[in-house]
Amino acid sequence: MDAKVIKEEQIGRSVPRMEGAAKVTGRAEYIHNIRLPGVLHGKMFRSRIAHGRIVSIDTSAARAVAGVHSVVTGEDIQRLIAEPYYGPAFHDQPVLALHKVRYVGEPVAVVLATDPHVAEYAAGLITAQYEELPAVFNEVEAATSPIHVHDELKPAITFPDLKHLKGKRGTNIALDYKLRRGDVEAQFASAAHVFEHEFHTQHIMHTPFEPFVALAEPMDDSITIHTSTQMPAYVRLEIARLLGWPENKVKVRTAWLGGGFGAKVYVKIEPMVVALALLARRPVKMSLTMEEQFYVIGKHATTFRIKSAVTADGRISARKCEVFWNGGAYADIGPRVSQKSGFTSTGPYRIEHAQIDSAEIYTNLPPAGAFRGFGIPQLVWAYESHTDIIARALNIDPLEFRRRNILREGDEHPTGTAMRDAEFEEVLVRISARMGWDQPFDRGTGTKRRGRGIAIGVKASIAPTTSFALVNVSADGSAVLFCNTIDMGQGSNTSMAQLVAQVLGTSSERVRVTQADTDVTPFDMGTLGSRSMFHMGHAVRLAAEHAREQLEALCAETGIEYQDEHSIAQAFRKKFGMQAGNIFGVGHYTSRYQPADHDTGMSKEITPFWMIGGTGIELEVDTETGHVTILRMVNVVDAGRAVNPRVVDTQISGAALMQMGATLSEEMVFNEGELTNPSLAFYKIPGMRDMPVAIENEALEAETRSGPFGAKGVGESGTFGVSPAIANAIDDAIGVRLYSLPLTPEAIYRGICAARGEPLVD
Amino acid sequence: MTPFELLEPQTLPEALALLSDDDAGIRPIGGGTALMLMMKAAVLAPTRLVSLRGLQGTLGSIAMTADGALHLGGLASLSALEHSALVAQHAPVITRAMTHLSNVRVRNVATVGGALAHADPHMDLPPVLAALDARVQIAGPLGTRELTIDELISGYYETALKRNEIITGVQIPASAGRAAGRCAAYLKCTTRAADDWPALGVAVSFLYSNRTISDARVVIGAATDRPTRARAAEALLSQSMGDATTLQKAGDALAAEVQFTTDAQGSAAYKRQLARVHLGRAVNAALAQT
Ligand SMILES: Cc1cc2nc3c(=O)[nH]c(=O)nc-3n(C[C@H](O)[C@H](O)[C@H](O)COP(=O)(O)OP(=O)(O)OC[C@H]3O[C@@H](n4cnc5c(N)ncnc54)[C@H](O)[C@@H]3O)c2cc1C
Repeated sequence: MDAKVIKEEQIGRSVPRMEGAAKVTGRAEYIHNIRLPGVLHGKMFRSRIAHGRIVSIDTSAARAVAGVHSVVTGEDIQRLIAEPYYGPAFHDQPVLALHKVRYVGEPVAVVLATDPHVAEYAAGLITAQYEELPAVFNEVEAATSPIHVHDELKPAITFPDLKHLKGKRGTNIALDYKLRRGDVEAQFASAAHVFEHEFHTQHIMHTPFEPFVALAEPMDDSITIHTSTQMPAYVRLEIARLLGWPENKVKVRTAWLGGGFGAKVYVKIEPMVVALALLARRPVKMSLTMEEQFYVIGKHATTFRIKSAVTADGRISARKCEVFWNGGAYADIGPRVSQKSGFTSTGPYRIEHAQIDSAEIYTNLPPAGAFRGFGIPQLVWAYESHTDIIARALNIDPLEFRRRNILREGDEHPTGTAMRDAEFEEVLVRISARMGWDQPFDRGTGTKRRGRGIAIGVKASIAPTTSFALVNVSADGSAVLFCNTIDMGQGSNTSMAQLVAQVLGTSSERVRVTQADTDVTPFDMGTLGSRSMFHMGHAVRLAAEHAREQLEALCAETGIEYQDEHSIAQAFRKKFGMQAGNIFGVGHYTSRYQPADHDTGMSKEITPFWMIGGTGIELEVDTETGHVTILRMVNVVDAGRAVNPRVVDTQISGAALMQMGATLSEEMVFNEGELTNPSLAFYKIPGMRDMPVAIENEALEAETRSGPFGAKGVGESGTFGVSPAIANAIDDAIGVRLYSLPLTPEAIYRGICAARGEPLVD
Repeated sequence: MTPFELLEPQTLPEALALLSDDDAGIRPIGGGTALMLMMKAAVLAPTRLVSLRGLQGTLGSIAMTADGALHLGGLASLSALEHSALVAQHAPVITRAMTHLSNVRVRNVATVGGALAHADPHMDLPPVLAALDARVQIAGPLGTRELTIDELISGYYETALKRNEIITGVQIPASAGRAAGRCAAYLKCTTRAADDWPALGVAVSFLYSNRTISDARVVIGAATDRPTRARAAEALLSQSMGDATTLQKAGDALAAEVQFTTDAQGSAAYKRQLARVHLGRAVNAALAQT
């Protein structure tokens, strides 16, 4: 790899993706492709009921199938792990169902065989008897239902704000975040205008094109886990905890990930493959199918009740938010979603009186957790639809209404944290400038009506979190970066290499980034929530600076002027008499954070940085069918300084198009807890022909003073404004307001019929 | 998927001999695009598959017959239809329908026989062929027979085929060809993503001369449990000029006469509206080609 040496600034350079060639030529390594001698394949038998006590599981027919190695149930797992429950927020999820099943699709038993087809066939012969229990599916009902998904809450020790839930019985509420600021009720009583609405979002799936896959390989006195994870360090920690082993006996490694989008955070199928491998004393691989992914993790369905008081001159004086998050049967990281996103429920507005109740709720559905945007798209959907309705009702231009209320530098967010380096207004300005918001707009004719809409959202970073990095400079001046940030398609390896090269004064092409392997790559909390460029970026910067200090000392000692990799190579040769030796630079970073007060939900430092994204939409509605064509999509974000502008651009459009799918077509449809469309034939993500006619992205010229080289995260910001911008544009086009996602042609057409007083009769 | 036996006969008689009317575990397989998905989903677990790929040489052709009919081989791939100059000349409605049917990977292997025998009501080809008065040629142990699309597809995933019969070809009569003055269009309406199974397919064909429509065919797919002729709409269109008022009336008639079904693509009420609107759009699309 003797790439051409590029002397220019490395920050702000659109360095081509380092893995691009390997991926398009099919040579990039994925866990799916690993073949190990003696491996057993596992296939699951899943619950067909939503809630019930397990009376018996009959595995005899499966065991009798030729080629079956063994059949494992929850009780077998318990022989290995006495308390086989895992989860980042609650230790609530059994490796395989124990005593009870809590959703349709929950894993109940696994067949192991050398031939995966045999395992699958045999799994189909397993039967189970249940004593069925009543089930609860809707998040609002579950909040007060006498039906309880779990008998007792078992918070993990990780999050201090869940401690008070320990041992709690008789509830489905797995987290209850509250914000209390000022007196909202007094404002509602006296305000010039009060608006109140309820919005809904649907359960959706991440749909990474590489489904979950993990392979556990028991060694002499340790275990190696090859897995497609966004969080190798956490997998190691959680497996070590489950087994009661020291961390250094658990090795977790990844290869390239075929997408993650938040699905592959924390642990998913790893505890299962580990337990199976240790029971069988052989390597065990599980490769889920696309269909099975629907039963692992999804995005929270939500109900959001929002109420605002507005003054006569169009200022929001109070806002009350009640958000119900449908967490499914196991909490996963859901409580973090409902808290970290929950405290932003009032939106990017200066509001003196604010009240938020954001609750994570157990139901008898598949679990919901982190999903690109970490809950923010659900919130923005509601508050930006609501904001638009208010503006239109008051006859104020929606852009003007937002500008009148938007948070500005130094303003206090309702949580009490002052806004820093958060360019809300500039995002609005750039969207409207690109759209020509003040220009006349062609509204269409006849059955084709046009409209436009905007929306803007804000997100906080997950905090506090920690990243470590290690830079190893070789004697020729080339470097390897050891870091656990997982490149699952977002281009992080390329960007991280740029940071190293910038500090060392070399070119990015001379830096290679290793795949995560917890035996050698140092700790990182995980690749999620757009935290990596900020947190790992700092750690990488510090590690590179540490290496550079030592390299400068080496040069000084050998009398060579430090310039670039050639001078580094000279210094090494002079010192060691040949091309030999290494310099290790280490760095770590923990974000600053002050926890929210339990009673008021307030904090002076609730996030290390804010993410901001807005979208403008122009669209056309076919009023005879409800079909929508997006003519133009304008996405503008504040990502601080763009380390790699091309990567930033594709992150913006990728996020926005993903959210467009969540807005227009994607929906996991449940019938009494049973998913009716677990396949890509019936769960439709957008394809090439669904793309907007035109799409434009812009990352503001901005700087995050607290970020590495002025940068911050950008993986999710493109999602924020998309859904409400589309709904607002539909309203603008045809005067129909929709309150539930997805905005399917049928939903829109029904809205049209209802608006003219002739509801569509079934 | 459970193990099965795969046989690869090279002639039609060999293939027919390997099938059995008594054994539901034995199936012919064309491109396998529908069959393999059903097997993966464990909806179907055949013990023996009789591959028809070896017959592609003899049953894969697209040709004009002596009496001016267009013959599509039962083993012709959908992409062969898409790219055939003969099809484009005599039944351009098929060429256009192909470009929005599934995707290129499926079309490259899926066959005409499979597209008809599968009988999923959402398939695009059956309504198009029905609107062109196509006749399906079938070979069995006792000889051959011909059925119309209406006779062939008897219900939801149901056909009049016996387990030991093979679709060998389809003939579109000369009277339904472009040269005979017949205009045709097929509109596929999807509701979740552009590349999707249709919520509604509307195929129309008619003769057009002196600015007047005659002998109209209207066939609805996807929104119904099998391809369905809409005769009241046909009657209104025939002898009309295809003007806006007629199209609206025909759309209303269609909405009233057809039994729509609710499924994942939409409710019956919504599909009725889609059909009402798309009939006129389909007629206009056909007229635009005159
Ligand atoms: C991703 C995807 C998207 C799709 N989208 C669309 C779409 O938009 N529109 C659309 O119309 N279709 C669509 N399809 C369906 C596709 O058109 C059918 O799968 C295909 O036409 C079936 O043809 P085949 O040759 O592969 O049939 P096979 O899968 O081989 O067989 C299907 C059935 O027909 C029987 N059979 C096959 N050949 C014969 C024969 N010659 N005689 C008698 N019986 C036979 C088989 O026994 C089986 O029951 C899609 C399919 C896929 C996989």
